[in-house]
Amino acid sequence: MNVTGSALLRGAYYVFWRELKRLVRQRTRIFMAVFQPVIWLVLMGNMMAGLTANPYAKQMLGVDNYLVFMTPGVMAMSSLFGGVFSGISIIWDRRLGFLHKMLTSPIPRFSIPLGKIWAIVMQIFMQMLIIIAIAYALGVRFVTGPGGVVVMLVFCGLLGSVMGGISLAVATAIKTPETLFAVINFLTMPLIFSSNAMFPLAAMPLWLQVIARYNPISYAVLPMRTLAATGWIWPDLLLGFFMLLLLNVVILLIVYHRFEKGLTI
Amino acid sequence: METLEEHLSRGEASRDEVFNEKREMIRTEKLVKVFPGGNKAVDEVSFSVYEGEIFGFLGPNGAGKSTTIMILTTLLDPTHGKAFVNGYDVNRNRKQVRMNLGYVSQVLSVDDALSGEENLWLQAGFYNLSREERKKRVNEVLDLTGLQQRRKDLVETYSGGMRKRLDIAAGLIHRPRVLFLDEPTLGLDIQTRREIWSYIKRLREEAGMTIFLTTHYMEEADQICDRIGIIDRGCLMTIDTPANLKKSLGGDLIFFDFAAAVTQGDMELALQKLGEQPFIKKIAPRANDQNGFVAVSSDGEADLPQFFAVLEQLKVKVNRVTLKIPSLDDVFLAFTGSELREEHADKEKNMQDRFTMRRLRS
Repeated sequence: MNVTGSALLRGAYYVFWRELKRLVRQRTRIFMAVFQPVIWLVLMGNMMAGLTANPYAKQMLGVDNYLVFMTPGVMAMSSLFGGVFSGISIIWDRRLGFLHKMLTSPIPRFSIPLGKIWAIVMQIFMQMLIIIAIAYALGVRFVTGPGGVVVMLVFCGLLGSVMGGISLAVATAIKTPETLFAVINFLTMPLIFSSNAMFPLAAMPLWLQVIARYNPISYAVLPMRTLAATGWIWPDLLLGFFMLLLLNVVILLIVYHRFEKGLTI
Repeated sequence: METLEEHLSRGEASRDEVFNEKREMIRTEKLVKVFPGGNKAVDEVSFSVYEGEIFGFLGPNGAGKSTTIMILTTLLDPTHGKAFVNGYDVNRNRKQVRMNLGYVSQVLSVDDALSGEENLWLQAGFYNLSREERKKRVNEVLDLTGLQQRRKDLVETYSGGMRKRLDIAAGLIHRPRVLFLDEPTLGLDIQTRREIWSYIKRLREEAGMTIFLTTHYMEEADQICDRIGIIDRGCLMTIDTPANLKKSLGGDLIFFDFAAAVTQGDMELALQKLGEQPFIKKIAPRANDQNGFVAVSSDGEADLPQFFAVLEQLKVKVNRVTLKIPSLDDVFLAFTGSELREEHADKEKNMQDRFTMRRLRS
């Protein structure tokens, strides 16, 4: 079937509209999305704040205030978690019959994951603004100011979209939420701990540094940390941006293929 | 393929002529679906459904009813064979097929987190209706299904029957030419079931819609279908009107017992006289009962008074008379056999069924 651009975008818009409506009505989901990063910032931030008193640690972290180091890490992690669960909605839609409803309507199939990814990105933007506000209240100041915040949002959106795409692609072949949760857990923990989200690269053994350097999360964290602590270092920003963009294109192509050809109904 | 409107606008045929031609709204040609793993769910099924008809697919669980619907609604690709909806090939013209059909799945596919109105609004969006058109149609289907008063409420506060009605309303929003209803009354109580039947009949009468439904309730098929196809193990066993199917079993059965006081000679005379009546096709003794017999008559209800008149004339007493008009159950059992099916249970299917039941019962 020929997928025309406007039909695709229109279909995706309605899927997006539905997801947002659902999100707004799920109070606990909103609460958790806000509460979890607060725990990270307040608890981890306090626990590790002593680190900057150690000159070696301070050198590795590259900041005076541990929270400045930590905030981009928490933002990246929250974006990852925001995205990685999006596949669950496909499984529920299938179980509740809504997937069939969308598939028998004339919208292109690719509209479905696309709309869901838009909704995830929108949700991530809201969540990030809240995290930044909390960090600000805790005394975190980004050296690049509001301009830096906007660019950080772009990075978070790109990362969330990659993770959402992976999750949606996996969900096309999986029928139960339990299985998808297992796959998600299997993916996310190693991804976080092999990235620079929580610990500086310099503190890692060499083999882990190599993995961390190619970890997609690092591509988001590094430029965000640069924006938070150092300034507008363009090579860092552009490298991260283009790598995440490339990843997005690859993942979306896979998602497209999975939904048009391989969707389990 | 041109639409009916285009055909009429060319002025070559009047609407009546077109209808007399019995326009085929659904057509399948030797449809086969083999699932990975070798399970043949649909086996060379060919049939046609005509405009304005309510056509029912009747069969035991796992007979291939839903698979056929899923092929016709473009959810599944057939392994072999062809299928057309309003003249469009489900393999090649999917977009047109989707524009022409409404699908109400077995699973309740309304979104509980949205209001009734929002569900319909969303559905209208999927069909790319303009803003004004959407407003109009949402109102129209809410009126038709009697949900106007509750339009703003979240669906999670709806009863099972209301959810089903909303689901049907959503399937109607783009005024499809053919409406597919997969087990439309599964799990509903009898009042709600009758209510849904009356909506289905109204759709045909008011909108001239062609309706294809699956069911395993005999009563449902009998009450609302113009024609019925009985399907079992993927094969289409027969297609006809409910009345013809019942007739095909030979006629109505009159069971009767002579009183104990009736002599052997009177009994034989009575049986002979009854056998001579044109409306009695056959008389046979019943097993395990010396005085019990069964007569096959062409129209039991009309024939019964005459039956009594014959006995009255001979002054022969009967103790007990039972008239059994063959039901669709009998037809169904005749075509599908009565043994229990070994169904391979699918975990996800069971889960879906459980969710549907829970939502319908709430």
